[in-house]
Amino acid sequence: MARNALLPRTAPFGDTERASLDAVLGAATPIQRAWLAGFLAGLDAAGGQPVAQPVAPPKASEPLTIIFASESGNCEALAGNVAKLAKKQGFKPKVIDFADLDIATLQSAGKLVAIAATWGEGEPPARAVETYNALMGDGAPRLDGVEFGVLALGDTSYAEFCSIGKNLDARFEALGGKRAYDRADLDLDFDKPAADWIKGALKALAPAEVASDNVVAIDFARSTSQDEDEEPSRDPVVVEVIEHVNLNSSRSKKETIHLALEFADGAPAYEPGDSLEIYPENDPQLVEEILSATGLTGDEALRKALLSERDITTLSAATVERFAKATGHTDAQKFIESGEVKAWLEGRHLIDLIEAYPAALTAEHLNTITRPLPPRAYSIASSRKEVGDEVHLVIAAVRYTTHDRARTGVASTHVADRISNGAKLRVRLKPNKHFRLPSDPATDIIMVGPGTGVAPFRAFVQERRATEAPGRSWLFYGDQHFTHDFLYQLEWQEALEDRSLSRIDVAFSRDQPEKIYVQDRIDQHGQELVEWLDGGAAFYVCGDAKNMAKDVRAAVVRVFSKHKGLSDADAEAHVAGLERARRYQQDVY
Amino acid sequence: MDDHKPIDTADGPAVETPGSGARRYETPPTGRPIDDPQAAKEAGLAHNEHLKIGSRFLRGGLADGLLKHATGAISDDDGQLVKFHGMYMQDDRDLRPERTKKKLDKAYSFMIRLRIAGGVVTPKQWLILDDIATTYANGTLRATTRQTFQYHGVIKSNLKRTMAAIDSSLLDTIAACGDVNRNVMTATNPAQSGAHKTAYDLGKEISDSLLPKTNAWREIWLDGEKVVGGEEEFEPVYGKTYLPRKFKIIIAVPPSNEVDVFAHDLGFIAILDKANKVTGWNVTVGGGMGMTHGETDTFPRTADVMGFCQPEDALKVAEAVMTVQRDWGNRKSRKNARLKYTIERYGLDAFRAEVENRIDKKLEAPKPYRFDGNGDRYGWTEGDDGRHHLTLYVPSGRVKDIDGGPQFLAGLRRIAQVHEGDFRLTGNQNVIIANVPSEKRAEIEALVDEYGLTKGAGALRRNSMACVSLPTCGLALAESERYLPSLIDELEESLERNGLKDDEITIRMTGCPNGCARPYIAEIGLVGRGPERYHLYLGAAFDGSRLGKLYAEDVDASAIKTTLDPLFADYAKGRQNGERFGDFLIRSGHVAKTTNGPDFHERIGALKPAA
Repeated sequence: MARNALLPRTAPFGDTERASLDAVLGAATPIQRAWLAGFLAGLDAAGGQPVAQPVAPPKASEPLTIIFASESGNCEALAGNVAKLAKKQGFKPKVIDFADLDIATLQSAGKLVAIAATWGEGEPPARAVETYNALMGDGAPRLDGVEFGVLALGDTSYAEFCSIGKNLDARFEALGGKRAYDRADLDLDFDKPAADWIKGALKALAPAEVASDNVVAIDFARSTSQDEDEEPSRDPVVVEVIEHVNLNSSRSKKETIHLALEFADGAPAYEPGDSLEIYPENDPQLVEEILSATGLTGDEALRKALLSERDITTLSAATVERFAKATGHTDAQKFIESGEVKAWLEGRHLIDLIEAYPAALTAEHLNTITRPLPPRAYSIASSRKEVGDEVHLVIAAVRYTTHDRARTGVASTHVADRISNGAKLRVRLKPNKHFRLPSDPATDIIMVGPGTGVAPFRAFVQERRATEAPGRSWLFYGDQHFTHDFLYQLEWQEALEDRSLSRIDVAFSRDQPEKIYVQDRIDQHGQELVEWLDGGAAFYVCGDAKNMAKDVRAAVVRVFSKHKGLSDADAEAHVAGLERARRYQQDVY
Repeated sequence: MDDHKPIDTADGPAVETPGSGARRYETPPTGRPIDDPQAAKEAGLAHNEHLKIGSRFLRGGLADGLLKHATGAISDDDGQLVKFHGMYMQDDRDLRPERTKKKLDKAYSFMIRLRIAGGVVTPKQWLILDDIATTYANGTLRATTRQTFQYHGVIKSNLKRTMAAIDSSLLDTIAACGDVNRNVMTATNPAQSGAHKTAYDLGKEISDSLLPKTNAWREIWLDGEKVVGGEEEFEPVYGKTYLPRKFKIIIAVPPSNEVDVFAHDLGFIAILDKANKVTGWNVTVGGGMGMTHGETDTFPRTADVMGFCQPEDALKVAEAVMTVQRDWGNRKSRKNARLKYTIERYGLDAFRAEVENRIDKKLEAPKPYRFDGNGDRYGWTEGDDGRHHLTLYVPSGRVKDIDGGPQFLAGLRRIAQVHEGDFRLTGNQNVIIANVPSEKRAEIEALVDEYGLTKGAGALRRNSMACVSLPTCGLALAESERYLPSLIDELEESLERNGLKDDEITIRMTGCPNGCARPYIAEIGLVGRGPERYHLYLGAAFDGSRLGKLYAEDVDASAIKTTLDPLFADYAKGRQNGERFGDFLIRSGHVAKTTNGPDFHERIGALKPAA
């Protein structure tokens, strides 16, 4: 019986009552439970009086197709949430990754939920590209009779905010589908609005007889991480910085911080490939600039909020609109109407807006205008098997100048400039099950990780050293200068020595007249690369999404074409096949 | 009088036999050096001998080492072998303290030294060398004390590209370093055009003749074809074990000794007739600068004049001297392996006899000659063929663009684009724009002015030399090239105060006792001991014929000026007409005279209070 204990001990029932309820609920089918949920909700709505006609249960096993296009895993997690809730409501959900989706099956989907991330400059997640393009292309199936809802994830700091979700939403309709629930475009702080959207969407997609308000809201966000025992804790924890060193030489133009974090109560059970989110603080100087520009320097509470709670850099069209609305600034309003906002936003931050349109801002205004300060995820550069209760990260300080103002990456310069040994950081684990070492330790691995992209591969190599994995490993590394930018050079030398790394090829772009990149090394060693891959090796790419990851993929296609005598299309299909087989994995940003 | 050199016409020739009479010399070995691994082991030969034997004629593991991409280094053994290819593996010592903490290996790079016999570079070559400097090296060309250029800061991944570029200039780096005959230096005194040409031709002939024959250089650096089998035939002169130690040959044309003939293993001093035509050569042997701090059985030594040879015998003499050293040189201790120790060990007479045996001819008695200095003559000179030559002072030989100062790199590049003659590198790290026809002189002059290439340098600075030292040289114990200019600033103040600002005094500094800038034959010699500490040597001859003597030990950099100041004052007051600083210090009893290597470590220190 104990294993059927559904009600928590904290439930407001006596032990006997709990046992009775458990006995009933534990044996109940999903349909029975959903009915009961509706019934009870209806009971409350009717003021505690039993209603004559309780809400009918949903139709048995109403199929629901949930498709997701995920890069960092957020959309995938949300798709899982949809499925869990849907199941509780009597659906028969089926979750499909875009990478595995046969688009022809969509025409018989009936009910469809799509959750899609937008990546970089308005691109679909790498794994989803192929399917996305197929959906957008002439070969897409008609979706007559399909009811759908689209949830879009994105980042307002990019111009093409949520464009992939928007495109899918329009496309499904164009293909004959019926929008059952309006799309939501969510920013980085999506937890709460996503939960709301899922509730609403499931209600809208439910068969008519359950489409009432009388659906119990289940707080699945709380429960998800508890569902499966083996999943590590995702609660934010405060950790201590025990090593903080700039890995670049003092002659380098770059600054890359190696950070070792110690978890006093034990590191979460992370795996090589996972990321760790850092909750950063804003640059105090920028906070002061904003306070000065708004005349709010005396507001200590606001200062604190701006420092650690609000995103005070990102500027989007939405920010400008909120600003104009909150302040009633007529010039700002005119500016929006001029249609020139989008171009103006390029390279500008919130402070530029505040200075361009001086207005009497209140703390309330600033809260309205800004979004919550999101955590920043970094690929973990260590294996627990080697570093115990530590997590190592490698973080490149982002600094640049636009419109005559020096800009800094919030999290990276928080770490680089304002964190040192002994400092505390709030962090949270972010698993990434799409970037994993092969389950068979004898499988060869090829790792392409220039710059900070090398982070997960340090974890991979540590893991394989600790487990004495027999598979070979081959690292492609690159940066600007061999002498000044070779991150973890001494460690790679040791790894080659102890054979936890079998081979390294390097590409330093600025050591010679012509630029040499990792993809050039892939071309150079194409024959051997093809041999490794034909022998079953898994291929990993981590780092820059904008150029590097695409160039590397193109190079892999190229070497297949060249060394196996394949047509371009066949070589492309070959690599796509590797992706579907999870033997070509990406962790790009 | 120094009875072994220089030999003044008035005094007549003299032949020196070190320690004649009193000394007992060892019996020289017979046969060729051991080149069998087992025999070498049993004989207890130095590690480098084993290396050479096993190197397959200088190949070693170099080709594989270049493919180790995670390190900028090559193995220690290959680091020894690569010297024969003209390179030293070095690391940026300024960066050492931070590297490990940053999980970075040492900042390795390579010094690449060219072989440029006689230091003659065509304008076309100059442009290629300039391009290499800015593309693969640290943006500078470094003129050395031995008439060649070296590059610094070339990383391993760029070595082959750099070598290919050097090859495209029709120059190479073969045997620029290592236990072989190194770059052959020849007199640059441009006024004596005919004699200079004769000297250069001999130097070039010797250089070509004594070049290692192994194909390893082309094979490794230029992806040249691998030679299969028949190893033995490749090095008829050197054999598998090459020489016991470095070997340096030099051709001098009196009255200028700017090549420092007495500081090298083998030298030829031109004997000129009244028409400045070379009638034959005095042969010098056993000069060398290097020593080891604290080991008095190591010492710098000025060469002995061994005899005179006819012009047609010079090449044979060169080969014979080198092969006797090949067979007699010490292969157990590298610190005592150079020719100067061979001669101390077996005696000059025995050495001469063996050379004569090998050339099957007696050497004649040395002929009179006279040197008047070992510095360069700056400014324009006209040769006896009517061509014009401009000697430029290049601070420490560093051809670069100096902020707010002369633009040597840019200026000489421009000149190379229009110059129709050639360039000569001098033994004093300077550059001569040579063989300018009269009609071109104004154009060159205008460019020299435009780039500020002759902007003033005082007398002391013009007679200064510094080795490279920190941050790249692995042997450096103290600063040299980066420090000497500011030390000269200080000393100039003292000299000016004492009315000596226009007096020519030679000053040379090295960061270690190995003597690259030949400090032991400078009137003021400073040799690094540790950070900001130097041994101060005084009393050397202005013409490079006599070694200095250790005057003050471990002088703090800040105390060099105060140590020299009273000596300058004394010199200003007490010198005789035309008397040189080094000669004065000996005559006035400040410092003991060094007669030759073995007494270099005798009677050291100040003989009396300076003031």
